Amino acid sequence: MSGGGAGRHIGRILIRAIVTILMVAVLNFILFRVIPGDPAALLLGGARTSVTAEQMEAQRQNWGLDRPLFPDQMVDYLTATLQGDFGYSFKFRGRHVAELILERLPATVVLVGLAQFVAILCGVMLGLYAGWRRGGAIDHIVTGASLALYSTPSFWLGMLLVVTFSTALGWLPGYGAYSPGATIGSLDSLLDHLRHLALPVTAVALGLIGQYVVVARAAMSDVVTEDYMVTARAKGLTNGQMLVRHAFRNAMLPVVTLITLNLGYVVAGAITVEAVFAWPGIGGLTVEALNARDYPVLQGIFLLLGASIVVANLIADLAYGLLDPRVRQ
Amino acid sequence: MSESIVQYYPRSRTRAIKAFLGQFLGHGGARLGLLCLVFFVAVAAVPTFLVGPLQTAINATGDFLMPPSGEHLLGTDEVGRDVLNLVVHGARISLVIALLATVISLVVGTTIGMTAGYYGGRVDVWLMRLTDFFFVMPSFVLALVITPVVLEVMGRGGEILGFRPSLFVIIVVIGMTSWAFVARIVRSQTLSLKERTFIDRARVVGSSNSSIMVRHILPNLVPQIAANGALVVAGAIYVETSLSFLGLGDPLQPSWGTLLSLAQRAGAASAGAWWYLAAPGVCVLSVSLSFVLIGNALDDTFNPRRRVIP
Amino acid sequence: MTNSSQDKAPLLDVNCLSVDYGLKGVSLRAIDRVSFALQAGEAVGLVGESGSGKTTTAMAIAGLLSPNARVSSGEVRYRGSRLPIDDDAAMRPHRWCETSVVFQGAMNALNPVHRIIKQIAEPCMLKLGMSRGEATARARELLGLVGIPTDRGSAYPHELSGGMRQRVMIAMALACRPSIVIGDEPTTALDVITQAQILKLLGELRSRLSLALILITHDLSVVAECCDRVMIMYAGRIVEDGTVAEIFAQPKHPYTRLLIESIPNPASGKKMIRPIPGDPPNLVNRPSGCAFHPRCPSAMGVCGTEVPSLDQFGRGRVACHLHRSSRGDKVAVHA
Repeated sequence: MSGGGAGRHIGRILIRAIVTILMVAVLNFILFRVIPGDPAALLLGGARTSVTAEQMEAQRQNWGLDRPLFPDQMVDYLTATLQGDFGYSFKFRGRHVAELILERLPATVVLVGLAQFVAILCGVMLGLYAGWRRGGAIDHIVTGASLALYSTPSFWLGMLLVVTFSTALGWLPGYGAYSPGATIGSLDSLLDHLRHLALPVTAVALGLIGQYVVVARAAMSDVVTEDYMVTARAKGLTNGQMLVRHAFRNAMLPVVTLITLNLGYVVAGAITVEAVFAWPGIGGLTVEALNARDYPVLQGIFLLLGASIVVANLIADLAYGLLDPRVRQ
Repeated sequence: MSESIVQYYPRSRTRAIKAFLGQFLGHGGARLGLLCLVFFVAVAAVPTFLVGPLQTAINATGDFLMPPSGEHLLGTDEVGRDVLNLVVHGARISLVIALLATVISLVVGTTIGMTAGYYGGRVDVWLMRLTDFFFVMPSFVLALVITPVVLEVMGRGGEILGFRPSLFVIIVVIGMTSWAFVARIVRSQTLSLKERTFIDRARVVGSSNSSIMVRHILPNLVPQIAANGALVVAGAIYVETSLSFLGLGDPLQPSWGTLLSLAQRAGAASAGAWWYLAAPGVCVLSVSLSFVLIGNALDDTFNPRRRVIP
Repeated sequence: MTNSSQDKAPLLDVNCLSVDYGLKGVSLRAIDRVSFALQAGEAVGLVGESGSGKTTTAMAIAGLLSPNARVSSGEVRYRGSRLPIDDDAAMRPHRWCETSVVFQGAMNALNPVHRIIKQIAEPCMLKLGMSRGEATARARELLGLVGIPTDRGSAYPHELSGGMRQRVMIAMALACRPSIVIGDEPTTALDVITQAQILKLLGELRSRLSLALILITHDLSVVAECCDRVMIMYAGRIVEDGTVAEIFAQPKHPYTRLLIESIPNPASGKKMIRPIPGDPPNLVNRPSGCAFHPRCPSAMGVCGTEVPSLDQFGRGRVACHLHRSSRGDKVAVHA
């Protein structure tokens, strides 16, 4: 309970987060240096252009490539990264990686945020209910379906959704974020955007629902067998009172952790789904970068994914402390 | 109050195995999973016998994007290849990648977890810091950035240990990025095993550390490793499928994920060619679900927590 | 005039109660034709090994049988009326208001995410309809009663010692002023000194609030400290029932005798603890006749074939063929 203990706990969590981010950055640095070819030549446009030796040498000095890899170049790289300078894209020549990423980020945040919302609403409730009524008919159906969802790549669900609702039935668009020619900002375009969101959000959400149901059900069925639930029953509480006052909060501990962790993981998980729907977000950018071997962009994305995962982990650790008094010490 | 009723104390090894099998196969899910796996392993063992050699654009036998028919049970793809042929050959590639990646992951995870748990102290601290990193960073995210770079370094031509480079790289990268989960579990098991008397006895009679680890600790970790191994396979299939879907697979040896990638690039979804994308997806789902079911059943068998009587 | 308690109706009357558990299609008898009566204010110990049925007996009385349990015979009467012990919803009003339970290992019996004051006040609000303020005041009062400083009320269970948590459990059990408190191994996880304190507290509260106490334990010495009467259970049946003084001085059943001999006695010094030979009873393959006969040092031929009935013997009851010389003529023995 002492402030010092809690402070030390938070301190330890923070240090771990910083170390992880640093390791991501170092891995980025190493990977970039491993790629064959002289970075100076790459910077000058690769093998496609002819450059003189003097130009190359000047370029090397200019970028600090004549200095030793470790520690000088690595420190430079880390400093630049910390300042938000992720370098320039190969494919979109002359554009900052950070700029490209920031441009694509909102589309991903909207997709992933909506999917999380839907998945939390459906998945957690279904899972808690299945665990509370463990062994019942609904439990069997819900658990079977969620295990299947859990084992299915969500991008494939996306493809099935496109074939069914877009190609065969023609109900919803299966491509892009807006219809061509839409004037962005009008009410019509908002509705159009929502219609474009429906299928990709469903695909991402279904994958999440599988996870949430599995974890919420397991958590609830663990809680149901706890001694304090027997105490609650002995106190003469009704089933509803037992569920709301004693089971819910305890069962939510692992679920909240998973949801928070997923805030970080879901961006990576949505990459393949975005690829299916040509969604103009981080996933789309990743596919373009992979196809064009645009390593700086790929590194930037890696750093973004790493950072979001680490931040989500950090929040999860802190949130757990708030919810569970046993951890606060 | 129920130990004497529910728990079973086997007297001999055969009885232990029988008891285990009885309990394991008592799970409907485990039976379903095993049945499904046996089917896919059988298919993967003799693909050429079943559907002939892997078809390419040159020896394709059908028209473009034909729906299922008597001649092509699962239809054809955009260059006229038989989808059934592709999927059956894909089974071998997908399963080999997933299983080999799992083997690597289990070996690395067990070694690191056991070493950390057994030696403790600084070894433990540093190994666990490394493990924490790989635990936090999902295999897919790491593989997404490592795979293209390594492929660039090694080139896509030639063969490595009998594998095409892109397959080899995917196997190693998935294996080397998905062991943290195993390492954590093995470590905590090792910590508790280390305190048991039979380890002390082995130490007293002068067994070396490595022989204690291999002879005394490792055999006791087998249940945990097996149960989690099944889940690692499911994870490996997921990562492989996703990476291949993003174009990091080998088009000349298509796994199910690569087939889905080809289907996507060919616009199968918007062309309504549901058979082309349904077939590989159903395979991924079935195999992955089988491993999840088996893993759950193993976990349940080895860690019985449910009691019949309060 | 077979029983001195005949003149006043007992507070609780358990009559020929049998409970079965369903186990993968097999039915398993946890308690078999258990009968006893409990007077208001009386303290009874229920003693036996794991699997003896003592917990099932207590849970049946409290209306806390698990869903896979089935009452296959008998009834439980409380203040003369039959308790619907196999109807979960119908038992709800009875629970905690009439019969409350002090569970063992209070760590898990208390909800880890709620402050203890809230957990004590909860039944006051939900069962007695008090407002939050009244309930909290009552909870403070109860904390005082069990000797916990009221300012500790805002603590979480994990912040308290084992003994303190057990006190919280007791305070909680008293919240609705029940007539019967069941102690389910209330001191098992505690050290000897704390154990003695908790038993003393239970004893004091019992006389102060004139509670009836049913103490479930595997430890006879616990019973010796705070019970008037003790019932020994073996393999789902009561094998002996008598006052604490009588049972300790003159155990009738061989099992009771062995139990008493297995208590370590520091006073006698030289005597080693003597464990009871043999395995605890297996309820799936229950031994024929008297379930104890495979382990009994005084077993006779009849013990393997015939189940001894629980008969009046002296001022208590015993189920043993050794004490059936007077079969069919109990009154004579009694007189």
